[in-house]
Amino acid sequence: MVDEDTVVPLVAPALSGPAASERSDQSPHRVRIIDGTLACLARHGSAKTTVDDIARESGVSRATVYRAFPGGRDEILGAVVDTEMARLFSALGVRLGNADDLGTALVGGIVVASTRLRDHVALHFLVEHEPGIILGHLAFADSDRLLSIASKFTAPFLARWMSPDEAERVAEWAARIVLSYAIAPSTHLDPCDEADATRLVTTFMLPGIEALRSAASGPIDITPYPADGPAVDPGEEPVTAS
Amino acid sequence: MVPEARQRIVEATYACIARRGIAKTTVEDVAREAGLSRATVYRTFPGGRDELVDATVAWATFDFFAKLYDRIQGAASLEEVMERGIMFAHRSILEHEVLQRVMQTEPDKLLPALTVESNRIRAGIADVLAPYLVDRGLAQGVDLRDAADFLARMVLSYISAPGRWDLEDPEQVARLVRSELLAGVVVPAAGRR
Repeated sequence: MVDEDTVVPLVAPALSGPAASERSDQSPHRVRIIDGTLACLARHGSAKTTVDDIARESGVSRATVYRAFPGGRDEILGAVVDTEMARLFSALGVRLGNADDLGTALVGGIVVASTRLRDHVALHFLVEHEPGIILGHLAFADSDRLLSIASKFTAPFLARWMSPDEAERVAEWAARIVLSYAIAPSTHLDPCDEADATRLVTTFMLPGIEALRSAASGPIDITPYPADGPAVDPGEEPVTAS
Repeated sequence: MVPEARQRIVEATYACIARRGIAKTTVEDVAREAGLSRATVYRTFPGGRDELVDATVAWATFDFFAKLYDRIQGAASLEEVMERGIMFAHRSILEHEVLQRVMQTEPDKLLPALTVESNRIRAGIADVLAPYLVDRGLAQGVDLRDAADFLARMVLSYISAPGRWDLEDPEQVARLVRSELLAGVVVPAAGRR
């Protein structure tokens, strides 16, 4: 079994680059301060959280906070984001690494990621009260970046069942699904629920993955819509179910 | 309330935002641009600038859907509806100068309105797709509401953040539509697989 605590230190440097990993062992208080900051964010949001608040909540002195994070508030907030991403990815890694088949991996990944996002109190406070901070990362170009990080991390786990290129596409697809339902919950499908997630994966994803793979392995008979004008093909009638 | 006044105010708001962004647009600016009194603007939009921004985003969305409907008219299949729709929508977002600029400079002013609107956009896309799905025939065991909502979510996701997909390339869009979007949803079209 893969243990979540052993994965975190492996993932965190990959997200923040070498500079952060060099620093990461310098202060034994870092994790405590990060968790204290999370508690502050969950209560007051980002704008109203000061280094003093963080020190008080973490039970350390202001000087200790600055020794651990010489960059102060901004550096702490950056570390919080990296750490929370690393925690999410290590939980995902555990679940994906232990799955015996593709369907189980996808269901497990979707349930774990969705549940962690749903239960993240600080995240919800920020979305509610300081939407610019979070929602900005979920829109347009920044969303592309987030999808890319998520798919780069999860793709290797899926590559047990498909080529690396397919795995990255499928991982990105799963990340889209998780984000979509996290941002705008559905009234009739809850991706945190094992049964609902299974329905989602077996109904929509597995056939889609099969189609992706058969398209990749050879020429597929498709009639793409031309980019420069409306397609006029009077011979093509809508196909109805029989 | 005279509908034309409302329309005029919304268009004036859009013009002001296009010129100097949301933060620097005041109710006075909008009134001047619309050729109406400040009192009339407040009577029509008692919520002031926030309400004006919301109404303008809603209006721009409506305008987008009107063009989208035009674009998919006459499509011969569900696949073609989705291909045309995705390519048009992606291009519209990329080329929407005001949207792009405000997203760059004042995302926190625009995002709340955009988030509210995205729920309506999602429902709108699902409504557009549902009759085509019924026409085409759903795969065994697929619920229409589930499928339309799922497709709308995915379409919204791809058009705003294409990720690894090049939505300018008709072949990639065709592949996307036939794999991640429709493969599990509908019965395969004869001769296509």
